[in-house]
Amino acid sequence: MPRTLLIGYGNTLRGDDALGPLAIERLRTLLPEAEFVSCHQLGPELAGQMAAFDVVLFIDARSEGEPGTVRVERLSRDAGHVASLTHHVHPAALLELTETLYGHAPGAMLVTGVGTSFELREGSSAEGLSEAASLALEEICRIVPELVKSYPALG
Amino acid sequence: MPTITIDPITRIEGHSKVTIQLDENGDVQGARFHVTQVRGFEKLCEGRPFTEMPALMARICGICPTSHLLASSKACDDIMAVRIPETAEMLRRIMNLAQITQSHALSFFYLSAPDFLLGMDADPEERNIMGVVRKFPQMARDGIKLRQFGQRVLEMLGGKRVHPGWIVPGGVSHPLQAEQRDAILAEIPEAIRITRSALQWFKGQIESFRAEVRSFANFPSMFLAMANDTNEFSAYNGWLRFIDANLNIVADHITGTDYQNYIGESCNDDSYLKSTYFKPLGLTDGIYRVGPLARLNMCQSAGTVQADEELAEFRELERHSVLSSFYYHYARLIEILFSIERMQTLLNDPEILGKNVRAHASPNKFEGVGILEAPRGTLIHHYKIDQNGLIESANMVIATGHNNLAINHGVLQVARQFVKGKKLEQGMLNRVEAVVRAFDPCLSCSTHAAGEMALDIQLISADGEMVDRMRR
Repeated sequence: MPRTLLIGYGNTLRGDDALGPLAIERLRTLLPEAEFVSCHQLGPELAGQMAAFDVVLFIDARSEGEPGTVRVERLSRDAGHVASLTHHVHPAALLELTETLYGHAPGAMLVTGVGTSFELREGSSAEGLSEAASLALEEICRIVPELVKSYPALG
Repeated sequence: MPTITIDPITRIEGHSKVTIQLDENGDVQGARFHVTQVRGFEKLCEGRPFTEMPALMARICGICPTSHLLASSKACDDIMAVRIPETAEMLRRIMNLAQITQSHALSFFYLSAPDFLLGMDADPEERNIMGVVRKFPQMARDGIKLRQFGQRVLEMLGGKRVHPGWIVPGGVSHPLQAEQRDAILAEIPEAIRITRSALQWFKGQIESFRAEVRSFANFPSMFLAMANDTNEFSAYNGWLRFIDANLNIVADHITGTDYQNYIGESCNDDSYLKSTYFKPLGLTDGIYRVGPLARLNMCQSAGTVQADEELAEFRELERHSVLSSFYYHYARLIEILFSIERMQTLLNDPEILGKNVRAHASPNKFEGVGILEAPRGTLIHHYKIDQNGLIESANMVIATGHNNLAINHGVLQVARQFVKGKKLEQGMLNRVEAVVRAFDPCLSCSTHAAGEMALDIQLISADGEMVDRMRR
């Protein structure tokens, strides 16, 4: 298996935005050889960590699109997304940063699931997700192990 | 003075505005820094149980949650009238030092380094963090690593790097584990190397920023910071002290019970950021500064070996106190060095693994005040509760508010130095941004979008007409 890092991000207090961190919780058992990061938002500090991997999968929630669906995109470096690097950092900017600073950017994919409710709520368990986001969570946990195992064919 | 129309709160994630007024001859007559967002935390916490305050207040900001968590917990300790266990206090100190480290690293390496490395007159398209990454990759790697160190300490102790928990009224929620201690200690030598290297580099650059040193909020003022019996650097415990520009003590031993006799808060018609002032002198003359510059001017020694060596050199900049706000950057680096050294000392103390880390009590007072030195300066949380322990009122005095008068003064100084005629030049715009950034203001993260600080500068003629405008 390629050296794999999975990064799930989102605000666990904001309904379906918890999709990324919740997916990480489940995937830990499904991909015991991978490494995982669960965080509120992406920051430039992740670049140093990413440089040590063959492939990085970013998992995030999305509000646009058919509720419950999952989209997988190949990511490539994009310096255009690098603005301030203080609040919100796009995965493509992180790849650019990793390549420029450490001389190696891993293959990367962005996996997003479409949710419907992003309101503040108590707790951060999967039971609190909308029906659409729950479906997306199941799908993410089904396809991500396959994506990792089929890398580099898909990377 | 011409009337200037302000258009507030359209962009609440932190937009600031600068207006500059010209006289009949086209010379700068006045300048103002406006903050156009409101957060309302003092109001929305009313009626909540006081024990919820630390977690609630930490949400004020994504950069400084730890500072609010600590100040809020100290206010709750005061309400419960408890003295927290020694180990808990040591652990809280480590959290505060890690917060200072990561926040200062963000300010220096991510936000301000483009100005230093690429020049104040550089094209803004290039003068950003990516420009630094391309031209000075080692500096960028160091910055990332140093901030990561601070964040890892916060994460290890508080569970997560943004909005950590763990600090609670009465102490901390659970003890430190030996493996956590060892993991932090293992990273300290590299963090010290990076900081020393940045200090050496920065000191070598100062000469080329003489114009900025002269004009970046460089004026005599009072300074406010925490003080203690030893006169060592103090960021967690102590009382408040005001000193003047000649290092004379103006007011001392100010505690949570009487801070309001010394610190006044003034609302502004043109900004949501309050201005605080030294009450005995009034709003006009009561200007003072807080934060790294104030703290280094205040203390007689840092209390750690390497930071003391740097502090001695820092003091040679001026005869009395260091007055140029450009040196906030320098002071920040020295504070990082101090923070890492002090963390090392605390972690090497066997008491740090003590199991008694929390005192339990019900409210014993109806009022409590928590004071802390946050990265940007003195932070005060003041709560009043009813007989059921519910918050009746909350008052928070934030570091950037203490510095508001000085920031305005600095903007005017820079405008007078660099604005010539009725046309705004890029270099002038850059310097207005940079003087504000020297204070590292945190308008609940807003101006921390810097590198691309949302800035709107308006040049207003004597008859009130906007003759030029630059926006980002």
